[in-house]
Amino acid sequence: MLELVFLIPLFAGAMATFLPVKLGRVILVIAALLHAQLAGLCWLKITAPMFDAYFRATPEGTLVLLVTSFIFLFISIYSVSYMKETEMENEHIFIGCMLFFLATMSMVALADHLIVLWIAIEATTLVSAPLIFVHRSKEALEATWKYVLICSVGIALALLGSFFITLSMDLGQVDVPLSFSALQAVAASLDPVWLKAGFVFVIIGYGTKMGLAPMHTWLPDAHSESPSPASALLSGALLNCAFLGVYKTHTLLHAAGLGAYSSNVLIVFGLVSMSVAAIFIMNQTDYKRMLAYSSIENMGIIAFGTAIGGLGTYGAMLHLIHHSLIKSSLFLSSGNILLGYGTKLIRNTGNMARLLPRTFVSFFAGFAGISGFPPFGIFISELLIIIGAFRSGRFVSITIFIFCLILIFAGAIRQVMRMSFAQHDGDILVQEKILRILPSYALLLTSAILCVWLPESLYQTIINAITAIGGGVHG
Amino acid sequence: MIQISDALLSLVLLSVLLSLSSNRLVGLVRIMAFQGIVVSLVPLFLNPQQGVGAGSILFLQIMILIKGVLIPGFMYIALNKVKIRTEVEPFVGYHASLFIGLAFIVISAYITERLNISLPGGHALLLITAITTMASGLFLLMTRRKAITQVIGYLMMENGIYLVGAALAKESHTQYVVEFGVLLDLLVGVMVMGIVLHNINSAFDDVDTALLGRLKD
Repeated sequence: MLELVFLIPLFAGAMATFLPVKLGRVILVIAALLHAQLAGLCWLKITAPMFDAYFRATPEGTLVLLVTSFIFLFISIYSVSYMKETEMENEHIFIGCMLFFLATMSMVALADHLIVLWIAIEATTLVSAPLIFVHRSKEALEATWKYVLICSVGIALALLGSFFITLSMDLGQVDVPLSFSALQAVAASLDPVWLKAGFVFVIIGYGTKMGLAPMHTWLPDAHSESPSPASALLSGALLNCAFLGVYKTHTLLHAAGLGAYSSNVLIVFGLVSMSVAAIFIMNQTDYKRMLAYSSIENMGIIAFGTAIGGLGTYGAMLHLIHHSLIKSSLFLSSGNILLGYGTKLIRNTGNMARLLPRTFVSFFAGFAGISGFPPFGIFISELLIIIGAFRSGRFVSITIFIFCLILIFAGAIRQVMRMSFAQHDGDILVQEKILRILPSYALLLTSAILCVWLPESLYQTIINAITAIGGGVHG
Repeated sequence: MIQISDALLSLVLLSVLLSLSSNRLVGLVRIMAFQGIVVSLVPLFLNPQQGVGAGSILFLQIMILIKGVLIPGFMYIALNKVKIRTEVEPFVGYHASLFIGLAFIVISAYITERLNISLPGGHALLLITAITTMASGLFLLMTRRKAITQVIGYLMMENGIYLVGAALAKESHTQYVVEFGVLLDLLVGVMVMGIVLHNINSAFDDVDTALLGRLKD
């Protein structure tokens, strides 16, 4: 039964909310382990959906599910140690909401029905809001308010877009269930005007959630104010889920023969996001905000790569995997830095190489990875997107793309060097612990391994996910 | 012959205009309760010749319960806790807002005319109302400063989108499980917003969003 993938964390979350905190921590890790196994079963196509009108294990959904499940496992181990250090006031709610968050994200990954997908994405917003304002500082409250309101309004527009797609179905005289897989088959007879209008509203709606500029304004606030395990989840898992909504609609337009239109929209949003991120990273004073802007940049890269087609789309899918791995590792390291220095401001940190040596290794390696250095996977994915763009002759866009990458690297390296090597007088508040170090190492190591050796079955899943929009390694 | 659905839709329009010119927050919540109930009733009277199934009657009751009772009730509790009665100094004044609301109606009528799509039973007023409600909701959201009015704006926008759905989608696509999910999201959304609102109030002693400007680049 496929639905167990989200029912089990849902149940575990409800239990953890009401049970004592110590038991809740155990439940968190056990649920994460169980979820990883269920996601694996779903990947191997052993489980079949019970409500097949609403849920289906599509290749792209399975990919997102696997990534989510994998990073959640490590984040859950990290957060057990993190929560012990920070003395959270409402820890049982935090644990419960983390599990609910996992449940709703898995539901997004498996949803096949247009409106069920919408329900699941809106639900991710609602259950992750308590994760952000768990400390109840003024800043956290402001971030939560912006997050809930901006995302809810944005996602409401996506519902409007879904209604337009329904209308295009009625105008085209087709009567099939309102699911992506059914619509895919009859895409050619859908009404093109309303399908395009629907896509615009869907990309504005889910794009808000994905952090595409100019609808990204909630993202730096929410990612910087939430506790680090929650930031890692928001950045590494949630953004992919929102991307899945955009991707499925893009696939639908491609099948309807409107691929050129939706690709151009995606390219514009992708490049605008990258440029905005480049501008704001330059003089960033807060390292968590810097990582948040880097997420906006990477979502822009994924949107861009998806739109390029051929090799670029393959690169975008690889980028999705590696961005999740590396960025969640970086946010976990930033949690250690925050615990150590007690501040998010870059100018109050320094000499990390001496004071927090093991965190320094993971943070610096993560930074190298996110900037596209080998042996981490983003090197390959960005290279493939650039080659794909050259092959399809998009020279102007790829110039902007490369220029933004250089700007972001130049802006960020200054801050990272300062954090790592500059003079710092003052003590470290909380020392490193092995449980808070290993998860970020493991995530980075996975990225490095997947860079040099991609298992055949994973490769096949990626290829299955992208053939529908003309992606592939030979195209 | 006056159709019931048209009468209901005029009531929705009236509630939209009222909410744009109202500065008392309790009044706004009451208007939202009224609007919620009327909007839930609209689909029932859209196709009178089709007959009414048991499922739709049950769903109607759930919807009235959520949109007309639970959500406004929750807003009312939140309002009592924050002890704030009136909206102050909106970015656009009440008379100007009312005028803009009227302009929305005219623009929606024009858009509906231009779209030229066949609506169930030829209800042109349905789409006009839907677009006006949506636009006014978004307008409230952007021009009012109290966080609670912004939630009301969001709810109004959601009502508008529901009407668009009722206008555009055929009856045959309606699946009550799915619609119930959407409603549940809305309910939980308002509850989460209410909780955050309460926390904002105790941290800042006000729910003025002008105070929320600490996070900047």
